[in-house]
Parts: sequence; structure tokens; C-alpha cells
Amino acid sequence: MKHMTFAAMLLLVGLPAAPASEPTKLRPFERGSWQQLLHSHAGHPTLVHFWGVTCAPCKVELPQFGEFMKRNPSVDVVTIDADLVPNSEVAALSMLKGAGLSSAENWMFSDGFAERLRYEVDPAWQGDIPRTILISRSGDIATIEGSAEPSVLQKWSDGQAITAK
Amino acid sequence: MKHRTVILALAWTLTQGSAWGEMSHNHVSEAACETVELRCAAKVTPAFGQDGTLWLAWMAGGQVSVASSKDGGQTLSTPVQITQGTLNLDWGPDARPKIGLDRKGDIAVAFSTFRDKAFNGEVFYSRSSDGGKTFTAPRPITDNTESQRFEALGFDPDGTLFAAWLDKRNRVPIQQAGKKYEGAALFFATSKDEGAGYLPAEMAVDHTCECCRLGLAFDPSGRPVVAFRNIFEGGVRDHAIVTFNDRGAPGEVHRVSEDDWQVSACPHQGPGLSIGPDGTYHVVWYTNGRVRKGLFYAQSRDGGKAFSQPMPIGQLSKSPSRPYVTSGPHATAIVWKEFDGEKTSVNLITSADDGKSWSQPRVIATTSNSSDHPLLVSNGTQTYLSWMTKADGYRLQSIEGEP
Repeated sequence: MKHMTFAAMLLLVGLPAAPASEPTKLRPFERGSWQQLLHSHAGHPTLVHFWGVTCAPCKVELPQFGEFMKRNPSVDVVTIDADLVPNSEVAALSMLKGAGLSSAENWMFSDGFAERLRYEVDPAWQGDIPRTILISRSGDIATIEGSAEPSVLQKWSDGQAITAK
Repeated sequence: MKHRTVILALAWTLTQGSAWGEMSHNHVSEAACETVELRCAAKVTPAFGQDGTLWLAWMAGGQVSVASSKDGGQTLSTPVQITQGTLNLDWGPDARPKIGLDRKGDIAVAFSTFRDKAFNGEVFYSRSSDGGKTFTAPRPITDNTESQRFEALGFDPDGTLFAAWLDKRNRVPIQQAGKKYEGAALFFATSKDEGAGYLPAEMAVDHTCECCRLGLAFDPSGRPVVAFRNIFEGGVRDHAIVTFNDRGAPGEVHRVSEDDWQVSACPHQGPGLSIGPDGTYHVVWYTNGRVRKGLFYAQSRDGGKAFSQPMPIGQLSKSPSRPYVTSGPHATAIVWKEFDGEKTSVNLITSADDGKSWSQPRVIATTSNSSDHPLLVSNGTQTYLSWMTKADGYRLQSIEGEP
């Protein structure tokens, strides 16, 4: 029943369900994408992870988010490639696949004016990655700078499940 | 040596593919266009020669080029392209080509490339001893093939070329022992023979941050000083400084500030350093530490041992970034970027008393699209803002008379 409701809500907010086949493209993160993203996930606990192919700590951390997604189906998992050394989509898709994140909602910064994209997310963010934003059901936003402790993410997710009851 | 360069260039062509092409294909570029001219550059670095000629080195269309101007950047000489063929220039936010001139007008240029798909870097340098008409084919700055990035170079008053960079060679034995190597190491080399060859690379500091630009300046006696983001105990990425001694050996490492930024991420934002004629060290930097957040300035009047209490720069609500400091003929000046959600502004403060007191900040330039770091460059009589923007092109703007 709960699953049904979730699916129905997805339909209501117009979110595409996770594709069955492997994605070959990342969603372009452009001006306005952040507000669009917030809007489309409103009412859902959502984890947004900013990462990049050239970011060494990201490489280590990324599979943890794949694990998290598997264990926490009630949390919407979103990744955004915000690499400060922009590079190919192919490399990003391959890393997401390796981390078990192919079925997450995956975006990539697609504007040469990256400062403006970052400003829309958080005016204080100067671009350092990894960075994880936890958005509660009620829209409260918590930002984790640098690598996130899996235990912290799990605790947050468990808290979200409790508030839903 | 020349033979080796040719082989290297060929090897790139065969193995690197077209990373520049991939990048342009997948991203809306930071640059206005995709060819090699100055107007297409994402990064432009200025330097003045002793005769007052302005020299620019830039990265555009995946190549590094150099040109000069005798009228403050209004007209340029025919550019000389330093690099050829397909190469994968380091296009990270703190990377840029470097250019330096000695008193005779000999020129040194350096830049980084990514040598493989794991983004290991390689630093190259090129020299001109005919006033910039021709440049030598770029040569690796060191024979080590692990990874180098974030080079800095400059000539001391005797004409000795000093180069420093971040080098990851020390990770090899650590990783072979099954341990984790943190960061990179600050390496340096000097050349007294017009760049025909470098002395063997030496290490100054191990376990520095691996992803931030270096600040390089020379003290009044010509000794190199390097400011860098270090990794202190517990993964704290705060700033440090090292002054080289008269024999060219690195001195003690001193901490610029206790910001306590413990972060397992790459800030991609290194410090700025300038040394006044009286020997005062001026350092600017970005931190997001527990003790303080934002841009800061501090000075040292004892040769980089002790630094003043950090002075905040800029408005935190406007994401201040990319600070740069220079001690000009009339004042010490600091510029940085701020962003209001639509426009990026370059802000200026100046000090006529070697950093004891500072003017109110003032906006001296704006742009509505992506832009390079704002840089300051002095020709001995005037200080200029040097700023490349996507929307408005390159500008060289005198800051004198700006209160």
C-alpha cells in the first residue's frame, strides 16, 4: 500500500520512474534546475549528492550512496556531477554504474557559468566536492560538506521514516 | 631532448584522444569560442617586462599561446602558439598557464596537462631567448612520471628561474606498502642556465593539499617564498608558507592561520602572496574552517614566521572568491570576485601603509557570465587589474586613482 502511494505520488508530481534500462545520458543541470528539483521532490525525503569524476574523495565515497539507495528505497537519491574540472559524461555514467547508482536521478552541471548554478543551490558554496544535501519531508535542508559518514546518512533516513508514521 | 618531445607529442595524439573535444562537446564552455585566439581564452596570465611591454599567456582552444602588447593590451603582437597537436590541458579552476620574464627579456612559460584518464598531471615549460619571437618545444619540468600540477614560476633578481609545483611521486612507496597517501608534496627546481636544464627536483614539504594554486613571490633579497594550502594534523587544510634560504634550500614551514578547515574534499582555491619592498609578506586566502569562513588577509613582518590576525575580505552573502594581492608602487592592493546571483563583480581594497589600514571595498569591474580569476599586475609605475571574461573579453585596467 505504501509502495502504491509512493508510485501514485510520483505520478502526481510528474517524476519519471526509474528507467528499467541503463541510462545513457545525464540530465543537464542548468539555470533553474535546482528549483525544479526541489519542487519535484517536495514532500519526499531526498538525498542530493554533488560529486565529480576528478574528485578523489568522491571516488571512495560514491559506492556508499549506491548502498544507501539499496537500503533506503523510501529516500529519493539524486546525484549531480558538479566537477570543477568538467569532463566527459561517459566517465561519469561509468562511475555511477560502478557505484550502483545507475537508477538514481543523475544530473550533470551543464553551464559554463558554474558559479551561477552553485549560487542557486547555496550562495556560500564555492564548489568544493563531495557535498551532500539532505532534504526532509518537510523541506528542511541540511548540508554535509566533504565526505558523509554512512552512519549519519542512515540515522537521518531512519528519522525520516519515523516522522512519516 | 627534442626527439623526446616529438615522441611525447605523438604519444598524446595516439593515446589521449580528444579530451578537449569531449569536454567542449558535453559542456557549455567557460570560454566565448573554441579557437586559439585571446578572445576565446578561459584563462589569461599577464606579466610585464622591464621595458614596460605587457606579456600575456593564455589557454584557448586547447592550446597555450603568448603575445605581447606595447599599448596596455589594446593591440597585440601576432600570438605565438607554444603547444601543438592534441593535448589535454589542465582546465581545473586553479590551473592556468604561467609566464615570467627576467631583466634581459628572456621569457619562461609553464603549464600543466593531464597525462592520463586518471587525471594525473604533467608540468611542462618552454623558454624564449629572442624576446618572444620563438619558444622552445615544451619540455617536462621533471623526469618523474607520477603526477605534477599547479606549477608556479618566477625569476629572482639574479635571473635564476625558480619553479615550484605539487607532485605526487611520494605516494608510490606508501601505496605499495598498502597505506593511504594524503595529498601531494611541494617540489621545486631552479635553473641558472636560461632553462637549458633544470637542477634535479627537490621536495620542500610533504603532504600538502593537492588541488590548489600556489602563491609565489620573492623577498627583497631575492629568496623565493611559497604560500600553499597544507594538510595539517587531522586532515586540516589550512594555509602555510615556506621561505627558501640563500642556498636555495627550503626553510621552516610556518602556518599562516589557524582556520581549522578539516575537510576531505578539494577546495580548488589556493592562496595569493605578495611581498612588499620593505619585506612585508601579504597573504590572501579562502577557507571554510570552523574558526572562520570566507576570504581573509594577513601579513607578516618577520619574514613569514608570525602572521597578523586574519582580516575578513568581502561580503559573505555574495560568495566572495579568488582573492589576489599585489604590492604595487603606490599601494598594496587586493582584488576578489563577488557574485550576486546574476553578476560577478571584481572588488578592490588598497592600503598605502603596507597593510596596516585598508580602504573601503569598491567594485571596479563586472560581468554577466563566467570569468577567470581577477589578477593584479604591476609595471613598476602602475598596477592593473587583468581579467578575462566570457562576455566582455580581456581587460587590462589601471587601478591607480581608485580610492
